[in-house]
Amino acid sequence: MQVPPSGGTAPVNIRVFIIPALITAFSLVVIWASLQLDESPPMIVGDSMQPRAFPMFLMAINLLLVAVLSIQFYRHPPRKVPLERYPTWGSIALLALFYVLTVYADMFIGIAVVMFLMCMLWGERRLWVAGTLAVVTPVAVFLLFDSVLRIRFPRGLLTNWYYG
Amino acid sequence: MLEALQSMGSVILDPYLVLLIVVTTVLGVIIGVLPGLGATTGAALLLPFTLTMSPVHAITALATIYVSATFAGSITAILINTPGTAAAAATTFDGYPLAQRGEAGRALGIAVVSSTIGGIFSVIVLCIAAPMLAQVAYEFRPPEYFALTVFGLSMLASISAGGAVKNLIGGIFGVWVATIGAEPATGIERFMFGNYELYEGLSFVPVFIGLFAMSELLVQSKIAHHVADTISMKAVKLPTREDYKRIWKTVLRSCGIGTFIGVLPAEGATVASMIGYAEARRWSKNKKEFGKGAIEGIAGAEAANNAATGGAMVPTMVLGIPGSGTTAVILVGLMVHGLRPGPYLFTEQVDKVYQIFGAMLLANIVFMIMGLYAAKAFARISLVPTPILWPVVFALSVIGAYALSTSLLDVWIVLIFGVIGFFARRHGFSVAPIAVGLILGEMVETNLQNSLKMFEGDWWLIFTQPLAALFLVLAFLGLFGPVIFSRIVRQRD
Repeated sequence: MQVPPSGGTAPVNIRVFIIPALITAFSLVVIWASLQLDESPPMIVGDSMQPRAFPMFLMAINLLLVAVLSIQFYRHPPRKVPLERYPTWGSIALLALFYVLTVYADMFIGIAVVMFLMCMLWGERRLWVAGTLAVVTPVAVFLLFDSVLRIRFPRGLLTNWYYG
Repeated sequence: MLEALQSMGSVILDPYLVLLIVVTTVLGVIIGVLPGLGATTGAALLLPFTLTMSPVHAITALATIYVSATFAGSITAILINTPGTAAAAATTFDGYPLAQRGEAGRALGIAVVSSTIGGIFSVIVLCIAAPMLAQVAYEFRPPEYFALTVFGLSMLASISAGGAVKNLIGGIFGVWVATIGAEPATGIERFMFGNYELYEGLSFVPVFIGLFAMSELLVQSKIAHHVADTISMKAVKLPTREDYKRIWKTVLRSCGIGTFIGVLPAEGATVASMIGYAEARRWSKNKKEFGKGAIEGIAGAEAANNAATGGAMVPTMVLGIPGSGTTAVILVGLMVHGLRPGPYLFTEQVDKVYQIFGAMLLANIVFMIMGLYAAKAFARISLVPTPILWPVVFALSVIGAYALSTSLLDVWIVLIFGVIGFFARRHGFSVAPIAVGLILGEMVETNLQNSLKMFEGDWWLIFTQPLAALFLVLAFLGLFGPVIFSRIVRQRD
């Protein structure tokens, strides 16, 4: 869909306003969420402001800035961002996989699996390189944090076995 | 003064500290030469490893990473035309053309010497200016602090990538993120959605690791198959007397520019190097040589970006306002290790402060030696394939985030802010303003609340405080100055 600019030179693609629209929606949601916050009794707040006031004030500024950004985009449309290739979307999917594996199996299983798959996804073709990396790195980092920094990691299949 | 010098000198008598500086300098140079892994990401990743260290050792490690990674970005900028850090982007303009002419060693020599001079100059300024500024800061009350943080936020308009408006939107988002959790004065819960782990707000470190390391991982995935061309080099050559004659004025000018830019809240080495380069070109007699291998261009950019490191530490330590993205991480490091940033640091723990300054001075000397004798070896590290490097960064990010407060929530925060940071960068929003906004968020709200209480709700009385009014005028000029001045110039023409 095309919107003719007031100057009447070149049509502006409405897609350039998606980002300002998203920021506007975010700001409005925050303002709405702020309005749902509890009010503090006047004897505590005194001459200061209610806890909801500051986030609302921030979002009001944000809305002003978005208006300026929209004008800028209207006058000088930003160049189209090319869609990323599969390694990027695959990497984002791996972050989701890491969440699932950490919650339902073990954080270190999650790290090892994600490292291995990320390595392959990004172009490594030698299985043994990806495998070694995925095993050695988490084990080394675990031993360092466990023995030197005395950090206890969350319980899972492997850590249950290690901690007993 | 004598005590300060003694504290600084004590650094070389602490073998563990000297070893730590050498090790973290090597680490910093490695981080600096690896494209994508800058000083900020490096410091954020290293922070969890400093947990068991003493405060001085921990901050020294972070500060050493800062200065050495800032310098090391120039190695790959010169040899493979890929700046290891954003601050070295200006170095590619003349560094790479000079290397292509077969003078890579000379280009690196100029970069090493200029960076060292810039770094040492700024640490000396830091030693002198920080206590003086602390004296002034003793007089600051909530209105002055509020105005100062507003000034700091206004400076986001001009930092690094993205436009002014985009940076300000990022900064506002960062300030909003800081409001998540219990409101400090009343304890009212904000944006927690029933998750009581968020009661004390989001921890800075996982947000930073997400914004800088995890988002960079996703950015790097776009160029996963990129193979860099390298330029061969025999050895790094120290500048000749003729070279020194050509660059000394540029180096001195860039030292001043870099330190000044660094002192400004939220500005950093990237802006400093760009201005340093532009000024070197403006004052040069050989303007036509710029872009084709002018040594003044390398010296101007490199002296400025390293001078900004010491400058950026001034507001960080004296006012608790980060001078750059990396000093935002160092600021968090100070807090994690119980060193309260602010003017009282200079009375309560002055010996520790000067030990950190002394360590920064030593770090500059150590990276110069490494730059001169091992740049060639370090340049090879930049050829580590991305499919191997970035999965390791992933592992360090999630384990590091977990280790700080042994909470899985921090790991999820890394992932969430990694994705937010990636999409922000995809659409031209820099992530540094979000980080700076997050740091300044609580300060700006608390000081506004205290100012309102002080003036019994009459907020306009903030303007009657001379220093506060000055900072607010500076903030106004920072935001609207460029528009006003360009309009005046246009009308004159």
